[in-house]
Amino acid sequence: MLLSLNNINKSFGAIKVLNNVNIISERKECIGIIGPNGAGKSTLFKVISGNLKQDTGDIFFNNTNITNFNTEKRARLGISQSFQKNSLFPEMTVKESLTLALTHKYNVSFNIFNSLVNNKNINTDAINIAKDIGLSDYLETKSDNLAYGLQRQLELGIAIACNPTLLLLDEPTAGMSPQETKEIIKLIKKLSINYSIIIVEHDMEVIYELAKRIYVLDRGSLIFEGDSKSVKNSELVQQKYLGI
Amino acid sequence: MRAVNYNPKLRLQLLLILLSISIIANIFGSYFTRFFIAEITILSIFAISLDFIASRGGMVSLGHAMFLGIGAYSTAILSINYGISPLSSTLSTFIIGVVIGLIIGYFIVFLDGIFFIMVTLALGEMFNAWVFTSDFLGGSDGISGIIRPDFSQIGIDMNNPLTFSFYVILWLLGIYFLLTKITDAPLGRNLDAIRQNSHRISAIGGYTKAYKAIAFSLSAGIASIAGSLYVQLNGFISPELTHWTVSGEGLIMIIVGGIGSISGAILGATVVHIIQHELSNIINWWMLVIGFGFIFIVLFMEDGLWGLLERIQKKLK
Amino acid sequence: MILIQFLNALQFSMTLFLLAVGLTIIFGLMKIVNLAHGSLYMVGAYIGLSIFNYTESFWLALIFAPILTALIGAFLYTLLFRHIQNADPMKQVLLTFGLIYIGLDSVRLLWGTMSHSISAPSILSNPVLLIDEPYPAYRLFVITIGLLVLFSLYFILEKTKIGAKVRASVDDPETAQLLQINTDKILFYTFALGCGLAGLAGITVAPILGVEPGMDMEVLVLTLIVVVVGGPGSLKGALIGSLLIGFVDSFGKVYIPQLAQIIIYAVMALTLLFKPDGLYKR
Repeated sequence: MLLSLNNINKSFGAIKVLNNVNIISERKECIGIIGPNGAGKSTLFKVISGNLKQDTGDIFFNNTNITNFNTEKRARLGISQSFQKNSLFPEMTVKESLTLALTHKYNVSFNIFNSLVNNKNINTDAINIAKDIGLSDYLETKSDNLAYGLQRQLELGIAIACNPTLLLLDEPTAGMSPQETKEIIKLIKKLSINYSIIIVEHDMEVIYELAKRIYVLDRGSLIFEGDSKSVKNSELVQQKYLGI
Repeated sequence: MRAVNYNPKLRLQLLLILLSISIIANIFGSYFTRFFIAEITILSIFAISLDFIASRGGMVSLGHAMFLGIGAYSTAILSINYGISPLSSTLSTFIIGVVIGLIIGYFIVFLDGIFFIMVTLALGEMFNAWVFTSDFLGGSDGISGIIRPDFSQIGIDMNNPLTFSFYVILWLLGIYFLLTKITDAPLGRNLDAIRQNSHRISAIGGYTKAYKAIAFSLSAGIASIAGSLYVQLNGFISPELTHWTVSGEGLIMIIVGGIGSISGAILGATVVHIIQHELSNIINWWMLVIGFGFIFIVLFMEDGLWGLLERIQKKLK
Repeated sequence: MILIQFLNALQFSMTLFLLAVGLTIIFGLMKIVNLAHGSLYMVGAYIGLSIFNYTESFWLALIFAPILTALIGAFLYTLLFRHIQNADPMKQVLLTFGLIYIGLDSVRLLWGTMSHSISAPSILSNPVLLIDEPYPAYRLFVITIGLLVLFSLYFILEKTKIGAKVRASVDDPETAQLLQINTDKILFYTFALGCGLAGLAGITVAPILGVEPGMDMEVLVLTLIVVVVGGPGSLKGALIGSLLIGFVDSFGKVYIPQLAQIIIYAVMALTLLFKPDGLYKR
């Protein structure tokens, strides 16, 4: 067991956003969390990544109780995230962004004497990651000047560059064209061979395509858990999604 | 805060140009020119210290004159009251600046943008107010009788402005190489990234606050060196040196030069100081010119003179 | 004795309030810290000085100096601030820093570097007796002006429609947008009003402190501290911050003169350590 969320509760004022949520993720497993808008997906995501603290409940990662760890600490343990809204370094090129993220994989971020440009391991790694995420042709392009779809790919690239065990993906296909969506699905499928992944999405097709196990969230509570087939066949889920 | 393009090549070229000009001017110049060059060099060191944290970490400090003052006053006290040699005093002020910078940095690096500016401003003013009332520091009279390093044993007379200028230029070069090294190293690149998007650095496991505190304390130490050299150049210190407008003028310099390139800060310090000095000799409304010129640059030349140079460089290719 | 100190502190607080309220509204509405706010205070005092010298009437100066300062504010808004609203916050701060230079030099060129004084109108120039102690009537007048402004602002903001719009724009820009409040117009008027109040502070203080170049800097730092302590963007914060800083400073100067200069900064440092968003978080 890699990650477990036990009885997570979260309220904003009088509104209960997460109600006794339990989630378990195994190593090298790709999990999907879906639910209609306002179901609490984003809150749940933030609770896992450490951007938001739950009111009650515990989180364990790799047998460590990370309930009170902030984002930075969780990231250092191997929980990496990509954001729904691109969170890049606008003035840095693709290569610069990736080498930068790699300083955290190699634990050299405090180094003040060796030029990053001359670090062989990091530069080779950066080029390999760029290849993996399909940005080999854009190494010297500034993030700000990339097309939106490519920026989404770089968003993923930065997340994997710091060598995570668990990847948290918040709506990785948000705002993408169907063509771009296809590309990113291909990419995530490739990544799922090596990483444990949790995807939060409201596009069901994307989740069906990628996730081995799916949690369905509705108004803060988990209402269903199963593989894509059983989710597709579940009347309850169909009702929640289509019935409104 | 936007910084100029990361361009180590142009950075070095610009340094070499400025360096050759200052060496030639120093050799062939008059007594006054040499003094002026030393002054500009010291201001450049101060501007670099501001440039470093503005571009690495996105911290705009309106209180850095405090560290100028810490360097100046500790040099004065160490050499007058304790008889420590001027060179050792300068080295000690660096350490004093770094330590005080680290303590202050620890408490303020979590502040964002505007709040950081206002808090540094208030801290600087607090120091300024304290200096003015402290009898130990000479109050509003300041302290005089500070001597320059003595290298007469190896046949160098530091009271000659020619040699003293070269001396401060050496300091500038040392600091330049230290900071470019850090800028290019992982820590510097992380600090650059923090300026652009600190949120993401946290998300990939960076020690955001620690990086910023290190940068701030280093910058404080460098500003202290500038203060130390400044009192050795003039032989006295006046508390006006610690007023917040001195920090403001430093910011003007780095914006005129272009933030984030280090040599741009030197260029900015040179240009602004020459304009201030020469213009005030010719016209008595030079502050209007500075004010309007500054606003023009902030509005229309985001990369300052560095941006101009980069365009020239592209055309030459 | 304590009453006199109390009144002195109150007068100082009211002057700070006139300055802080403008700065904080502008910050709340535009997220801009206007470092040139002190310059407007100085310009207000100088304009008042000229009016006073030509007409020999303090009352005309009192009325027209704030109005003219507000006009300068409106001019600055249209020419500059309006265009930098969405710019990087550092850029905004630095632009206003450039304005300080322009303000200082304009004043120097137009009025010279000497310090001037304005005498309080004869009706207010004699001290009044407060429980056997003579107290300058003019200071009471300044307190009255401050309270008048305080209450009219309160009335405008709480009881009128335009006030509600301003409050919405300051406190909750998103709702303001939803309600389709024309923010540009509101910005224009509040910016001018804020500048006008700075001018009012300048002219009312002139008979007490005189008029000289450099008066802008002293007051700017104090005003910034008030705003930071009170909580930027908060009107109640501006009042509480002004009272706190005004009283701490005035009483500090009497009881612990050695530390008086430093004590207000200490207050700010403590506030920031324990309440980083200021006393009145919006």
